[in-house]
Amino acid sequence: MKKLLTLVLALAMTLSLAACGGSDTTATDSGSSGDSSSGEPTKMTLILRGGAYGESLQAMLPAFEEEHNVDIEVQLLSFDDLHTGIALDAVNETGTYDLCMVDGSWMAEFTANGVLANLSEMGYSFDDDIIPATTSICMVDDNIYLAPYYGNVTVMMYNKQLLADAGYAPEDIDSFQDIQDIAQKTRAADSSKNGFLIRGGSADNILSDFLPHLVVHGGWVVDENNNPTVDTPEFRAAMEDYLALYNVGGTLDKDDIVASVTSGETAMAQIWPGWYTPTADGPADYITIPTKLTDDGQDMGAVALQGVWCIGIPDNAPHKDLALELLEYVMSPEVQLASIEENGVPCRFSCLTDPTVLETYPHLETVCGALQTGVYRPVIEEWTQFTNILGTEMDNIIQGTKTMDEALSYAQEQLEQLMAG
Amino acid sequence: MKRNEIRKLNSAQAATNRFGLGMLTPTMIVLVVMTAYPLVFTFIYSFTDYNYLKGTENASFILFDNYTSLFQNGYFQQAVVNTIVFTLLAVVLEMGFGLLVAVFVNSLKRGQKIMRTLLLLPYLLPAVTVALSWRMMLSANYGIVNQVLETLGLPVFNWFMDTKTAFGTILVIDVWQNVPFVFLLLYASLQSVSESQYEAARIDGAGALQQFWYITLPNIKGSLALCALLRTIDTFRLFEKVNVLTGGGPAGTTTTITQFLYNYGIKPLDFGFGSAGAIVMTILVLILSSFYIKRAMG
Repeated sequence: MKKLLTLVLALAMTLSLAACGGSDTTATDSGSSGDSSSGEPTKMTLILRGGAYGESLQAMLPAFEEEHNVDIEVQLLSFDDLHTGIALDAVNETGTYDLCMVDGSWMAEFTANGVLANLSEMGYSFDDDIIPATTSICMVDDNIYLAPYYGNVTVMMYNKQLLADAGYAPEDIDSFQDIQDIAQKTRAADSSKNGFLIRGGSADNILSDFLPHLVVHGGWVVDENNNPTVDTPEFRAAMEDYLALYNVGGTLDKDDIVASVTSGETAMAQIWPGWYTPTADGPADYITIPTKLTDDGQDMGAVALQGVWCIGIPDNAPHKDLALELLEYVMSPEVQLASIEENGVPCRFSCLTDPTVLETYPHLETVCGALQTGVYRPVIEEWTQFTNILGTEMDNIIQGTKTMDEALSYAQEQLEQLMAG
Repeated sequence: MKRNEIRKLNSAQAATNRFGLGMLTPTMIVLVVMTAYPLVFTFIYSFTDYNYLKGTENASFILFDNYTSLFQNGYFQQAVVNTIVFTLLAVVLEMGFGLLVAVFVNSLKRGQKIMRTLLLLPYLLPAVTVALSWRMMLSANYGIVNQVLETLGLPVFNWFMDTKTAFGTILVIDVWQNVPFVFLLLYASLQSVSESQYEAARIDGAGALQQFWYITLPNIKGSLALCALLRTIDTFRLFEKVNVLTGGGPAGTTTTITQFLYNYGIKPLDFGFGSAGAIVMTILVLILSSFYIKRAMG
């Protein structure tokens, strides 16, 4: 009896383990619609950035689903989870995701490791209506790997009342000197108010928001050969000015920043358009980030940081052809225009300059200007580690736990080691 | 005759052994598949430059390079110190408060059940939910805590973005959530202490403190050790709250070992380096736990 019981248990265990192995069935359908023979809709899965970026795309899907007899599941994730989710799925022979949303800073890593499908080879090309500056991050040589879906570029948010109290009109802000002046005047007038807020939290947040300040000082984090350039006079000067802004404000996370500017606690802060949609009678609005350090200084041309959310097709996507149709659909001028109603920000001239749209969303004109003049983070495979190191050292300076000399020389040394492999 | 009996006994013994082995086999297989296999591979990967996207075929053995860079890494050193300090403080506070609450609830004549249920609620919540709720309550701009402090004319703080407050704030949240766990274990243990011991002590003229010291504590010594062990292991792995609330900042003051591994191993998909960190962390937990295990084993 005992023997029998042992045998049964062992057999059950073996069967369970075998069952855990699961079926190896993979979907390899690359047709352009659902299974016509059975009428069953094709299942597609999208992995997108949470918030307005992904939600504006998600809202456009029902028409495509109906037309192509597909059932689309959307995963909306945070910045880090999205990166990890795409990467973890990339090593599978047949992946889970048909379409993914990608930040430009991941481009080098993803293309070097064959994560994304070559859209040019699949027959996709850009039309003239797409803002050229938003497409540069989408290509390697002449091959397209991504399409710019959501026009995300840093802008300068301001509280209308506090700006007027400081004696400025939005069109008067020509330089970073003006921003400094408004911040100082706001704090001087009322010590409980913040002149300027900087974003804290992750190392990437800290570094990204600082980059426009660095560019306007003529600096950058790497040279043309991707050697780190952080222990430089330009970086120090930019950091000094950044600290001066911090000293008449503070550091908060994005929700608190928007709440603080709209509630009249803070005069100015650098934000991404997806965080806040201004209205004509609202307390706050935004302008493009100035491109000059001082009013009579050199115009740097492009200063604001481009954070365009692009869409691409994983190289192991289960329904590649259908995914291309979906990509072309969401990138079409009509769908891009419709996405504005869902807080979308297209990268198309026709949408951002449409008179009807501008009547309701006048801030899109600002975004359109900013999208044409933005700069991208360096396209290097090691960008995640790079931001971890530099962002942490900048945080050390901001929080006063290290001197600027200590932090920047340590960062330079660590980054050189990183880039040397 | 005797020889036959011995043979029968031996055969019965062998059958019992075989049955025992048979019953153990499924558990052993599960343990090997779920624990030993990942552990062995993590150990092997820790000696390689394995990057997840590049694949194992492009990984090469680099001996102790990962361990060398790990120990030379200033951020890792800071993370180890933070983790040890946090663990010590959190375990001491949780044990202290948990014991106090357990003794208090155990002494109640009425309402023990409702108290027990209410006190358990924080522990039942997922760590991420707890973190998000506290983030809203402690928001520097619209959080209820700062609003109350402001109304009372007290200074307000930027709880998660200030180096002076971030570590302490996460500590308070962790203690708040985990005191119920300690309470529950110790309360169960207190229930088993015989009332007759207290009666005898009272007859001998022992006061409340003496009863606590000479009767209560010795009786729940085993549970205290077990509780401390479990809390140490769990606190050492602290991740969700730090990741959601501060991401390790400001200026690395709240970076724990797990947060460091996430930032420098998982996020850049540098699994070789991450594996080395995981092995070091496992060894540290074992060292810390060994004191308790030794005591608990007698």
